[in-house]
Amino acid sequence: MIFTATLAVLAGTVLACFLAILPGLHIYNVMGLAVLLIYWLQGLGIAAAPEIYLPFMIGLVVGWSVLNTIPSVLLGAPDESAIFTVLPGQKYLMTGRGYEGTMMIGAGSLVGLYMLIFIVAPFAPKFLPIARNVLTPHMHWILWVIITFILMTEWPKGGNWGPAGWRKFFDAWSTLGAGLLTFGLSGLLGFLLLYRAPIAVEDAFQNIMPAFVGLFAIPWCLLNVLSGAVVPKQYIRDTLNINGDLLLRSGIAGGIGGGFAAFFPVVTGGVGGLLAGHATAQRDERVFLMSQGVSKVVYYTGALMLFFVPGLFLTRGGGAWILKGLYTPRTLGDYYLALGSIAIAGGLSFLLMSPLTKWTLKLMKKVDYRIISLFALGIIIVLVYSITGWVGLFVMTVSTGIGLIPVLFGSRRLNCLGVLLLPIACNMSGIGEPIASFLGLL
Amino acid sequence: MKGIAHFISGVTVASFCPWAVEAAQNGNPAYFILGAVAGILPDTIDFKFYRFFYKHDIRIESHPDQLDPQRVADAVSKAVSLAMEGKRTTLKLASIKLGADDWRQYRVKIDPEAGEVRVQFGPIVSTGQVPQPNSLPEPRPVAIAKFDAPILQNYEPTYTIDIFDGPSFAFKRNEAGQVEIDFLPWHRNWSHSLTVGAFLAGIASIWTWQASVVVFGAYVIHVIEDQMGHMGSNLFFPITKKRSKGLKMMHSGDALPNFSAVWLCCLLIFWNVYAGIGNPLYHFTFVRFMMYAMVIPFAIFGAVRWLVMLPDRGHPESLSTEWNV
Repeated sequence: MIFTATLAVLAGTVLACFLAILPGLHIYNVMGLAVLLIYWLQGLGIAAAPEIYLPFMIGLVVGWSVLNTIPSVLLGAPDESAIFTVLPGQKYLMTGRGYEGTMMIGAGSLVGLYMLIFIVAPFAPKFLPIARNVLTPHMHWILWVIITFILMTEWPKGGNWGPAGWRKFFDAWSTLGAGLLTFGLSGLLGFLLLYRAPIAVEDAFQNIMPAFVGLFAIPWCLLNVLSGAVVPKQYIRDTLNINGDLLLRSGIAGGIGGGFAAFFPVVTGGVGGLLAGHATAQRDERVFLMSQGVSKVVYYTGALMLFFVPGLFLTRGGGAWILKGLYTPRTLGDYYLALGSIAIAGGLSFLLMSPLTKWTLKLMKKVDYRIISLFALGIIIVLVYSITGWVGLFVMTVSTGIGLIPVLFGSRRLNCLGVLLLPIACNMSGIGEPIASFLGLL
Repeated sequence: MKGIAHFISGVTVASFCPWAVEAAQNGNPAYFILGAVAGILPDTIDFKFYRFFYKHDIRIESHPDQLDPQRVADAVSKAVSLAMEGKRTTLKLASIKLGADDWRQYRVKIDPEAGEVRVQFGPIVSTGQVPQPNSLPEPRPVAIAKFDAPILQNYEPTYTIDIFDGPSFAFKRNEAGQVEIDFLPWHRNWSHSLTVGAFLAGIASIWTWQASVVVFGAYVIHVIEDQMGHMGSNLFFPITKKRSKGLKMMHSGDALPNFSAVWLCCLLIFWNVYAGIGNPLYHFTFVRFMMYAMVIPFAIFGAVRWLVMLPDRGHPESLSTEWNV
């Protein structure tokens, strides 16, 4: 059984390697398709054993959460959890250090995996059920407080020069206003998607995908295509300029941010990244980048791991929700299977990070960056169309319009998360339906 | 302290109010949101509103391609002289933006003993204040401007100007005949006073008296936290006209105090919502909780950090620029 499970996790991780490099494709979309395949096989009388599909799925999530750093940094096409890595990552790329930046986030991911396996996993069955029991009635206000934090902590970028007065004030508030507008419009879109879901129910697991792709990935691709940036010669370094102290600090910052996002509902990896940056007042770019790597892995992998924690009965993150339809973990054996799979997948994906980054850089050397971005954009559009059809493309286009606001005005891209945060927070506080009714959605 | 520490402190204050926890259990998040907003509001007022309307008598905005330290030094010296003549003078030294993430750093040192201002331009730094290698300008003279006035420094003698908004100063002659330098005169002034907190609490009391308690508590905790730093706050505006001296226990950007405050607040919130459960499934004492969640993890963190810094002889790597005027 161990041999079969190991093969399954290796297969999942290797598949994730290739999927991670495709910009815009979220691993939950692939998992959704895999589940449909399993149901189809069951319909034919061929039952897949949990010892095969569980490690396979875990390999997919872990491999993807580690390796999707590559398109985020090198192609500037992030998923929501990686949005904070794009700007510093692209700065590394534009100074010929794309490999270094990517590997630094990769090192952070490895720290995140160590934290999950060696720190969180042994204590989770004892302490997390207590935390869940105490905090469950309070999830709604925690979500509202997070929304308040996102909206109130954006820093005005303008208004630094010139005489005092309204002109200076409006210059500063152009970014803040754009941020608030983005959050409001995203929230409105979220209400629309939740109460008048335009994407067919058969497209299970994929209904939010076009919105996320439009809000987060496409604006970057468009910017890359239009800006005409020329990527300078890239240098491969044998060592990273980091030490144990930096790793420890990024581990603490990212671990807390990602852990928070993994444990609380609707709070995503992007919020985890934001909290990771703020909570420890990190100025060092290397710590920031690594903490984002930690946060991303702890969010995706940690949320899936929580699903297997004995006695916790917690389903967080799309991966766990997809698996829940197939299997309910019951024993310590399931937990150990998940932990072992995470360890193997994490180790393998980190080892694959360097060659895959080098390969992508080689490709970028041969092909113009704008063409790669255009190709990435094409893949994203084809994926959205093939999974969700014309309606999905329409949702994606509208979302892109909203996602472009922060890109153009230099405000925080995380405001796009209003698409999830606002409607869900309203629902949790019992005001979702009256608002939807007021908007004419009911 | 950093914004997140103030923010979560406000939430923590709300969690100490039984009515806030009870309302939250019944689906009403208002008190917690109110606490969070009030907790960060003093800085919001200063940084997002007031500073854009604060007028400066002298503004120095250096051109990125024409770095002239003498102009900066002369402006500071002039502000000191004007103040000595009895005219309160405000001065703004603007930052120098070179690109989306590049800023030219420069330093201003006001040396009371030598009776001079020294200014020198430094490296290009990122928005994270990390210097870029080989970015020092050439040549790099130190400009000196003399003044003839006794100086009373309330902050630090050397000011580094780099990212976002540059610093402001107010120069004013006091009763002892010294020129007092007020760093960032628009910050931690009237907005950081207990009286304004009480005023806002009064407004909140229109809704409920419970809301006013939350607002006042969250506002006050912000002022108290800031009082632990170097700058202090104008505690009883308009009765007091200037900031009380800070306790100088920390700098607002220090990582460890900020992180410790955030973590402690999270634990206190957890404890308060646990205490609000009528018949809890799990039983533990406050001391045991704090031992497991704060004392032991921090001790382990300290030990591990000590171990990983051994190769660097126990000193954390610093990114601060190694130059001085």
